[in-house]
Amino acid sequence: MPNSVEVRNVSKRYKLYKKSSERLLDLLIPHKEYGEAFFALQDVSFDVEEGSIVGLVGINGSGKSTLANIIAGVIPATSGEVKSNGNISLIAVNAGLDNKLTGRENIELKLLMLGFSKTEINAMEEEIIEFAELEKFIDQPVKTYSSGMKSRLGFSISVRVNPDILIIDEALSVGDKAFAEKSLNKMMEFKEQGKTMFFVSHSISQMKKFCEKILWLEFGVVKEYGPASEVLSHYEEFLEEFKNMSKKEKKKYRQNALDRQSKIAAKP
Amino acid sequence: MKSAFKVLQEQIQYFYLVRRLSIYELRSMASGNYLGMAWEIINPAIQITIYWFVFGFGIRERQPVGDIPYLQWMFAGILAWFFITQGVMKGTKSIYSKIKMLAKMNFPMSVIPSYVIFAQFYPHLILLALGTIFLQFIGYPISIYYLQLPLYIIGLLAFLFSLTLITSTLATIVRDVQMLLQSVMRMLLYLSPILWPPTLLPENWQPYMKLNPFYYIIEGYRYSLLGEGWYFLENPIYTLYFCGIVLITFLIGAYLHVKFRSQFIDFL
Repeated sequence: MPNSVEVRNVSKRYKLYKKSSERLLDLLIPHKEYGEAFFALQDVSFDVEEGSIVGLVGINGSGKSTLANIIAGVIPATSGEVKSNGNISLIAVNAGLDNKLTGRENIELKLLMLGFSKTEINAMEEEIIEFAELEKFIDQPVKTYSSGMKSRLGFSISVRVNPDILIIDEALSVGDKAFAEKSLNKMMEFKEQGKTMFFVSHSISQMKKFCEKILWLEFGVVKEYGPASEVLSHYEEFLEEFKNMSKKEKKKYRQNALDRQSKIAAKP
Repeated sequence: MKSAFKVLQEQIQYFYLVRRLSIYELRSMASGNYLGMAWEIINPAIQITIYWFVFGFGIRERQPVGDIPYLQWMFAGILAWFFITQGVMKGTKSIYSKIKMLAKMNFPMSVIPSYVIFAQFYPHLILLALGTIFLQFIGYPISIYYLQLPLYIIGLLAFLFSLTLITSTLATIVRDVQMLLQSVMRMLLYLSPILWPPTLLPENWQPYMKLNPFYYIIEGYRYSLLGEGWYFLENPIYTLYFCGIVLITFLIGAYLHVKFRSQFIDFL
């Protein structure tokens, strides 16, 4: 199987500034560093074969969403590169919608920006509306929607676009059970079609059901990457251990990791 | 130079996108208030009335400007100004307010300011049409001089786009630019030949007032609408100056835009 996505030495560096003046100085003065560097991702590399389903796990702040966004091409990596064949679609809870426009207008706008022609858009529109189960709300401004409705709309658009590679960032945990079921079925359908998928979720049971491989991130570095059952059991063990740590130990653990995340900044 | 070609090529290649996105922008602007687009006419009408009252009746005591009555003189110039301020302000905001929606690094980002400016252009054309009808009844019928109007309109569009390429980039990086620009535009309202004729100033001040490129556009509109002559032919050096300014602004804008575009999303 050829590789569908290749992630090579990807790092993402953010800068933390104590005050806004530091931020400005950092911009204006080129050869001096202001603020504290922070690596959300550090030297992450892995390959994903075509048609496989990869789950991204890790505790909060481990860089799952950052990685998902970099693979999807929403944010640039500071160094390293991501190679992919096929178009990628990211499904996130807060899919960018224009609050002032109606649901229907948002569908048209999104599809337009993804490069579809007018006839294609017209053909896809009804299906999306049907899948999103928005009925008469479709012609109401999005600002009147509930959060579940918004994510249903976002999800339906991204799914209908029929991408080669799908990245699902916590998007299946919203909406009611019936919709979650429906989305999962859709995912299964995609799985059968041999699409490559990434799954970001905190739900281990969902991961078990769905993923073939798991990438375990811990504070920006790859802790383990391998077959789902293996990595997930390690991850569960770790979670158990982590849960049982005292407050102090947890803090120390985090502090160690945080130090590591900013240390690399010292050497250029 | 390379970036200038890149931006230019994007503009041509994605012109349909500019056109269609601007329609959604218009709809988004008009939604939410009962009178919708009508405000694009009502607002200017109220402003024109109040300026006429304060400056025409009050301060100038009904003195005409040269042999043109004050209302007609001010009216012809201010029509251009409404488009200028809206274009500059909304264009500057465009990138940091829209990027969340459009985010995908491969989106042709230089399209963002141009579609936002374009959305302001439709109400401007309507206002211009209504303005010319109004002028028929107050003593300034359509004349051969209207033929030069498209030149100034194209010039203005080109300059607005070039300028907002710079300002939208700067405003995304440092949000204060938006505030600064708001003050500058308010200042320019009084420093451009809109509410009072700068010919009242001493002779040696005149060239400095003309450094402001909006001066050229506003006078151009006035010459066309009031049939005063062929402005661009009568002031060839000034015309060259204006074109030069547009070119330089565009080169700087394209350079800045291309340099920072991949990082825009990190500045949010």
